[in-house]
Amino acid sequence: MGNSLNAWSEALIGFNLLGLPLGLIVIAVIPLLFIALYSLTYGVYGERKISAFMQDRLGPMEVGKWGILQTIADILKLIQKEDILPTSADRFLFVIGPGILFVGSFLAYAVLPFSPAFIGASLNVGLYYAIGIVALEVVGILAAGWGSNNKWSLYGAVRSVAQIVSYEIPAAIALLCGAMMAGTLDMQQINVLQSGEYGFAHFYLFQSPIAWLPFLIYFIASLAEVNRAPFDIPEAESELVAGYFTEYSGMKFAVIFLAEYGSMFMVSAIISVVFLGGWNSPLPNLGSFALNTWTNGPVWGAFWMISKGFFFIFVQMWLRWTLPRLRVDQLMYLCWKVLTPFAFISFVLTAIWEIYVP
Amino acid sequence: MSEYFGNIKTGAVTIATGMGITLKHFFNAVHRKGDAGLDDVDYFRQVDGLCTLQYPHETIPTPANARYRLNNDIDDCIGCGQCVRACPIGCITMETVKVAPDDLGACGKTRDGQQKKFWIPVFDIDVAKCMTCGICTTVCPTECLAHTPVADFSEFDRSNFIYHFGNLTRLEAEAKRRKLADIQAKAKAEKEKKEEEN
Amino acid sequence: MQELDTVGQGSVRVTRKSDKLVILEKDLATEQMVLAMGPQHPSTHGVLKLECLTDGEVITEAIPCLGYLHRCFEKCCENVDYPAIVPYTDRLDYLSGMNSEFAYALAVEKLLDLEIPRRVEFIRVIVSELNRIASHLVAIGTYGIDLGAFTPFLFCFRDREIILGLLEWASGARMLYNYIWIGGLAYDVPTDFLKRVREFVAYFRPKAVELQNLLTENEIFVKRTHGIGIMPADVAINYGWSGPMLRGSGVKWDLRRNDPYSVYPEIDFKVAVPDGKHSVIGDCLSRHLVRAVEMEESLKIIEQCIDKIPSPEGFNSRSAIPKRIRPKAGEVYSRAENPRGELGFYLESDGKSTKPVRCKARSSCFVNLSAMKDLSKGQLIPDLVAIIGSIDIVLGEVDR
Repeated sequence: MGNSLNAWSEALIGFNLLGLPLGLIVIAVIPLLFIALYSLTYGVYGERKISAFMQDRLGPMEVGKWGILQTIADILKLIQKEDILPTSADRFLFVIGPGILFVGSFLAYAVLPFSPAFIGASLNVGLYYAIGIVALEVVGILAAGWGSNNKWSLYGAVRSVAQIVSYEIPAAIALLCGAMMAGTLDMQQINVLQSGEYGFAHFYLFQSPIAWLPFLIYFIASLAEVNRAPFDIPEAESELVAGYFTEYSGMKFAVIFLAEYGSMFMVSAIISVVFLGGWNSPLPNLGSFALNTWTNGPVWGAFWMISKGFFFIFVQMWLRWTLPRLRVDQLMYLCWKVLTPFAFISFVLTAIWEIYVP
Repeated sequence: MSEYFGNIKTGAVTIATGMGITLKHFFNAVHRKGDAGLDDVDYFRQVDGLCTLQYPHETIPTPANARYRLNNDIDDCIGCGQCVRACPIGCITMETVKVAPDDLGACGKTRDGQQKKFWIPVFDIDVAKCMTCGICTTVCPTECLAHTPVADFSEFDRSNFIYHFGNLTRLEAEAKRRKLADIQAKAKAEKEKKEEEN
Repeated sequence: MQELDTVGQGSVRVTRKSDKLVILEKDLATEQMVLAMGPQHPSTHGVLKLECLTDGEVITEAIPCLGYLHRCFEKCCENVDYPAIVPYTDRLDYLSGMNSEFAYALAVEKLLDLEIPRRVEFIRVIVSELNRIASHLVAIGTYGIDLGAFTPFLFCFRDREIILGLLEWASGARMLYNYIWIGGLAYDVPTDFLKRVREFVAYFRPKAVELQNLLTENEIFVKRTHGIGIMPADVAINYGWSGPMLRGSGVKWDLRRNDPYSVYPEIDFKVAVPDGKHSVIGDCLSRHLVRAVEMEESLKIIEQCIDKIPSPEGFNSRSAIPKRIRPKAGEVYSRAENPRGELGFYLESDGKSTKPVRCKARSSCFVNLSAMKDLSKGQLIPDLVAIIGSIDIVLGEVDR
């Protein structure tokens, strides 16, 4: 296994035991396992602890040392719960909703470069695919909300669809700024273009004086896309009880949660790939201390990628436990009157920068 | 237009302030406040930090005058029944048997030397009904009925909430009752006899 | 071409062609939906049910349905002695038991013409102002939750916990005190109590500033509450609003000032009314700001009371308590400023019994809630939540 690009994943693709494409399955299983493990540890337990510490609380403490096994206990509980299907629900949509939701968030992992040597599918339109596939979640949310046959669920679903569809516009334009700077839509190539011996200085966030604007716009829009506070109006618990998943319980509920944490990491990973160099080490080479060279490589790459993603998830949580929730019309105001115009401005400015500044 | 940019600016500034506050608390989470009670002199000198407690393992001390579980010190109870009358919800049930003259010594005295004149076979407090208002304790002449600072007394069975304080078993009570009835009957007979003689 | 409105539901554009109406365009007819908000809804603050008639997210009408927490308070009172009503008044507005007790004690004392020792009066004011702060902390914190901010709520509860601890230390119970008795107090306050209260005041001031930075000044919070649920002063008076709700509408009406009782005339404090600069007068934000300012004023009142309180030497908190309360035949209405508005007690005595013939509580929450129908018209569902939160109802007092 060398250091060349995509070495690991290409080796895995070639692994065909008894003519079965086992390698492909392993490639798909790796992100799946990653989502499950990260949701279990950082997603649920971490969020509960982080929110607790921000609120002067202890958080879960009983199960295991510092409550570390709390999530496992919760999952055991969720597995044992009765799988309730409301009598008046549309059975097909009700069951398929969480599935579509999860698949929608999981499919984008195909193009996430976890390390220089590993990527699920090195598409040349990777970024484009990642933006597009998120829209599949809308279908799942709508199916869940409509299928529940509950007024609150329907409100949540309709709000969510309006929100996600609207916020895809500033998000996509902001990502296009990054793509414009790279000149490619291939996620792995975008990363490669950001590597260099000065570490973070090669990241697109620091490569142009206006890159912070699309970076910020994409971050805000991505919060709305994954329904995180302050844009959590589809599941606003004080207004809509629980929004589109009001009627869900047991494992279906767990799958919806898994999908939410999956999308959270996905948008965090995309923002770190496009603007913060993905798996590139942010440390610069300082003379004989070749920090950058030492901290690059397939395993280090995975480390940097995941920690950058986790940092943005931390910021998402931090925002969630600080801010009140926006109203529906304010949400749309923010999208159409603030983020979209600024996204266009940053698009034009980036284009000018890229053309006229070498 | 200036309003538009002003809104964006105040939004950004106030959000940053809020995030600063939560981050400060996040980093302050290495400290724990401790479990001093308010009657502790150093209560407000405790550090700011995580302020929740691991309840069953750590508790905030309840002050000495806290009114929680109702308790009756039956050795001091004279069976006057004031508490039963005072209780707004009627959570105390009491039955008394007058002490026969020759039993007065056996029945004993209260702590402050008052002769007890009643056996109390039944003194039941339904603490599930009790609203800890403390009215019964203020009317109690011997101060035997008191709320204790024990705040946590949950039970699995509701019938366990009825606390029995009576100082006689049922058989004993029956014996005392019969004895009293005998004495009273004898006294009555004597009285009638006297009246007849007169 | 002309626009004819309301043919059925939704509008229709028609044109005239040789005296015939030709329909050009028809809006999609939308149906109104009845949405039962509560009694098990996270933001109705208890068991309130709102029957909302909604058109999309817009509410055309919201009617509060009450009675899920009705406990026959008034009937209970007719069956227990005067002193035994005090614990029941705690359970009216369980977030501010001291204030309710205070109001009830004032009513019976008026009926009996009792003279109260000065120290008792000061202690009563201190504990009820502490309770007012605790109550406003819950109001502000839960309002944050209604608007989606969870963290301020827990900060509020952290500080409220200290007040409850102080009151537990004084009275023996955390929420249902039975501390203010007719003619006196259950006990004098503990030796160090006043010192600790002063320390609490010093502790709480920076926390209130932090709360203001975190919640009240947050742009999203302001945007959510500014100009929402505006109640003009005259309508508010007609509805019989009182307390922070009425003051939020710009009416300078505080019973501690306008119908003073106890030692309030000796104390210098400001009646909080919105200045109209930060908020539209009468909107949700004004009501929130009034509560925030009132907490500050309560701190000032507490400090002044601690300065002026007579020494405990030779003091017996029960000295003025009558042995047997049997008022002369007559009736009395007495009111006091509760955290949620005017709590009035109407008592009628027949002169023979130790129980009131009639005890009626005029509850502020109930009156404040009655304006819901007016306030909710044409609002969005998130705004309805904001309005309910700003009314700050306690269902225990609404239903009694």
